[in-house]
Amino acid sequence: MGELEAVLNHPAEAGPRRRRRRLDLDLLLVAPAGVLLLVCFGYPVLELLARSVLEPTAGLDNYRRLVEQPLFVRVLWNTVSISFTVAAFCLLIGYPVAYTMASAGPRLRRLLIFIILVPFWTSILVRSFAWMVLLQKNGLINGMLLSLGLLNEPAQLAYNRVGVIVGMVQILLPFMIFPLYSVMARIDPLYQRAAATLGASPMRAFLRIYLPLSLPGVVTGTVLVFVIALGYYITPALLGGLGDVMIAQLIQRQIGDFGNWGLAGALSAVLLAGTLLLLAAIHKSYRLGSGWKR
Amino acid sequence: MSYQAKKPATLPPGHDPEFSRRALLAAAGALGLVGIAGPGRAQAKPFAGKTVTFASWGGSFQEAQKVAYCDPFAAASGATVVQAGPVDFAKFRTMVQSGQPVWDVVDVTIEFLYNGAKDGLFEKIDKSAVHLDRIDPLYVHDHGVGDIVWSYNIAYSTKAFSADNHPRSWADVFDVKRFPGTRTLRDRVAPMMEIALMADGVPPDKLYPIDADRAFKKLDTIKKNTIFWETNSQSQQLFTDGEVTCGLILNGRAYDAIKKGAKIALEWNQNIQSVDYLVVPKGSKRLEIAMALIDSMTVAENQAKVANLIAYSPTNPQAFASIDKEVAPWLSTNPDNAKQGFIINAEYWRDNLQKLQERWESWKLS
Repeated sequence: MGELEAVLNHPAEAGPRRRRRRLDLDLLLVAPAGVLLLVCFGYPVLELLARSVLEPTAGLDNYRRLVEQPLFVRVLWNTVSISFTVAAFCLLIGYPVAYTMASAGPRLRRLLIFIILVPFWTSILVRSFAWMVLLQKNGLINGMLLSLGLLNEPAQLAYNRVGVIVGMVQILLPFMIFPLYSVMARIDPLYQRAAATLGASPMRAFLRIYLPLSLPGVVTGTVLVFVIALGYYITPALLGGLGDVMIAQLIQRQIGDFGNWGLAGALSAVLLAGTLLLLAAIHKSYRLGSGWKR
Repeated sequence: MSYQAKKPATLPPGHDPEFSRRALLAAAGALGLVGIAGPGRAQAKPFAGKTVTFASWGGSFQEAQKVAYCDPFAAASGATVVQAGPVDFAKFRTMVQSGQPVWDVVDVTIEFLYNGAKDGLFEKIDKSAVHLDRIDPLYVHDHGVGDIVWSYNIAYSTKAFSADNHPRSWADVFDVKRFPGTRTLRDRVAPMMEIALMADGVPPDKLYPIDADRAFKKLDTIKKNTIFWETNSQSQQLFTDGEVTCGLILNGRAYDAIKKGAKIALEWNQNIQSVDYLVVPKGSKRLEIAMALIDSMTVAENQAKVANLIAYSPTNPQAFASIDKEVAPWLSTNPDNAKQGFIINAEYWRDNLQKLQERWESWKLS
């Protein structure tokens, strides 16, 4: 899985001095991957973006259409808000798991890693269908809640925003947990013990010591989940309701049904620009904010 | 331009039982001359050592096409038929633009046939190489030959409704008082416009041009009671799990679900037919062999084999002579079923899909 590379390439590693000395070697090491990305990814993306201002006629017509059609603005907003909610839930659920992994013994840790990786072996399509079966009105979850008497009538869990969020959180959770874990594993437990000997309560020690130290993982995980979620297609299509259209669905239809590369390119450009802006903003505050540095 | 729904109620002569034996003999004679489906005939194999690539939709459908069309063609002609896919229209367009299409014969939807023909994506069908006279003229196009017909049908849960009192029309499907429960429809403006208009009382021959205002107003009335499916597997799942009581499904999908034990039944009234066409991407370097492969797909026995394997309906009326009795009632071009439905007007949709699809997406979000 390509996204995992980003997890492993965590920025908060080597110090600046060490980095400078090894720059040449680093360049050499990333060259094959860099060339591959440029040729197989960079070039097609640029071509698609170029088409957004060249097809069907040269100019900004496609972008004007995006702005003028309320549909596209609403779908963009949908995409951002779904992705943000998914990232937030992934963080809420993933943080305690990563914390447990980092502080557990090797056996429990291996077991947890295994459990988290297992879903990767199943395709997203299959998992989305599985969620359909679990969440629907006479599905497993509703059946359980009904027989326990917790509900009087089945709750609407699928074919709405709830279904989309549940499905996407489950699929994207590993992308939150692993960056968090890779940072947490490097936090020296002595820090918290030192805080305790100085009279800090466990809560205070966590909030003042552990949480700030784990923030790089929080930022990486959240950004990763958010960015991957932006491009989601099949899960919202299967588990969402009528209103849960995401931008990838529109892009796919523009190209597949109409061969409208121009408009699809413009949609992609907006998505890409938004993502890059967000990354730049996070990068900036990550550098500037004193609490965000190690 | 006037958009008339094509209604296959007036059957071509091949449907007439009086004619069928004679026509069958004629077809068999033609077969012998071409020598494609005649197994074991010792004669020069015209395409020995050559390769042709066939792209379709994967799964059991493409497997059936391989067994029924490609394998006999390969055996008779000496060609190797490479199976590729699944069909992706963005990929198709890119291939043609590159001038080096990898696919030679492709199974496409009727919508893509009309859009692609307008955009010049296909080679013309070579009338001297393909026996177009074997195919019902309703399914012959300058740039494509219909190979299967399928239909959008009303289906209902046999647990929710009885055989005597079940939704028999789209108006019934839209009537949540008489037929309660969640329903499922397709998340696509075509054929939802036609369905909503029929539900509102418009007869099939007055559907085009689509009165979109009226259709969307009708759709508003069941928006809250409906799950709109995006993929066929989803529609099958919804019916199988009893999540919906009635709605829209493809005939082949209902057949498959029922064979697997789903408690549903199919209604043929007001069915909307659609056609898959075989096309050759513009710029194909293997035109001659591609046309010969398409020709093998016009043979009645081969089409019957597909129908028996997967319940997709033939475009060669003679195929019904070799189709199993249990399968025939499920087929869209079975005269009993065909006369209750009509073929979707792909020409209308070619000119209006973009505009109406955007309106559909906006309606979903409103």
